Amino acid sequence: MAKVESFPGMPQAAGKLLSLLNNPKVSVNEIEELLRYDPGLTANVLKLANSAYFGLSSKIGSVKQAVILLGSRKLIQLVLASCVHGVMEKPVPGYDLPPGELWRHSVAVAVTAEALVRELKISGVDIIFTAALLHDVGKLALGEFIKDEMEKIQEAVADGLSFEMAEQNVLGTHHAEVGELILKNWFLPSEILNAVKSHHTPDAVEAPHNLTDIVHVADVLSLMIGIGMGSEGLQYQLSDAAIDRLGLESFQLEMIASQTLQWVSELSDALQEAGVK
Amino acid sequence: MRSIIEVGDMKLGREGDLLVTHALGSCLGLMVYDPVAKIGGLLHAMLPLSKVNPRKAGENPFMFVDTGVPEMFKALYEIGGQKMRMIVKSAGCGNPMGKNDMFKIGERNYAVLKKLLSKNNVQLDSEDVGGTASRTVHFNLATGQVIISKNGQRWEL
Repeated sequence: MAKVESFPGMPQAAGKLLSLLNNPKVSVNEIEELLRYDPGLTANVLKLANSAYFGLSSKIGSVKQAVILLGSRKLIQLVLASCVHGVMEKPVPGYDLPPGELWRHSVAVAVTAEALVRELKISGVDIIFTAALLHDVGKLALGEFIKDEMEKIQEAVADGLSFEMAEQNVLGTHHAEVGELILKNWFLPSEILNAVKSHHTPDAVEAPHNLTDIVHVADVLSLMIGIGMGSEGLQYQLSDAAIDRLGLESFQLEMIASQTLQWVSELSDALQEAGVK
Repeated sequence: MRSIIEVGDMKLGREGDLLVTHALGSCLGLMVYDPVAKIGGLLHAMLPLSKVNPRKAGENPFMFVDTGVPEMFKALYEIGGQKMRMIVKSAGCGNPMGKNDMFKIGERNYAVLKKLLSKNNVQLDSEDVGGTASRTVHFNLATGQVIISKNGQRWEL
């Protein structure tokens, strides 16, 4: 696990913002205060807020306006996304993901998860975007290991095991667990860590959580429509219980799928433009 | 020329062209070839029925099987393809593990395709559908040859 510890941490610029995510009632003043000394980050916030993804009709000229229009927690999560873009854009050879594909998958799961929250009118999950965006960071660290073990993993898959169980059998751990391990150093809310760790096994937790169920469903859907589907294909077990808990209907699932690609391209453009160098 | 067909898109080509589509999961990949005119098309459709989002289907019929397949045949007729000569092959339509019907979008994609083809008296010549694997298709329009790559292996469909 030495590899996991040497994994690049969260970019510095995002550190202070992350600590604000733990506070459900972060004020406009706190965000303004934080950004005052960081003109680069301030510019990013404004570029993001003015991007096509939000489709706001009036131009946003100040951090205060951006917070009022988008909400403080939403804004923090978007800035965070622009900060991790560089790390997550790398190719992941073991999983057969070319450059940018893990990032595209992460953005797809994030926008799909947000759409599920809107469609199903689920409250209390306003950190869903970050949980979804980071759900597969473990693949970045495991990619190097898995390359050499892929034959064994595929044999286990051929025996009918789900991909993360096959990883577990061969490597002694799997990408969701490794993801949680990495994010432990990032001072994120514990619900996010749980959602990352259990995104393939939402029923294996003590108390099921909407956040985990939503990331689970959004992940499978994004893979099905081919966004970030690598060597594992669709070899994941879908949880009926999670779908029941969410109350998801077939037409809602397909309606969301039909819009995912457009959302992904709009948000990727916005985040790329606002990316922290 | 080599062209990549993204999800929810269709491209036509003629002799000398190679049509490629990657990461077919639950989506339908449909390859249609006229061996006399040496023209063909590759469709990568995401969802079975356009009624879930008619506005989207208006902007892009290739997102859905029920609108994408007829549009593709129409486009092939326009460049000289003839229905009697068409060789039709399908790939993709996979599903995640588990018994959940809602997520069997691949199965529904395939069912809608079969219904459309039989209604129009078109035969499916060969297919590689279902399962959990990610598929890549290479469609050579000089010969009509379709190569499927799946789990690191390649073979002709």
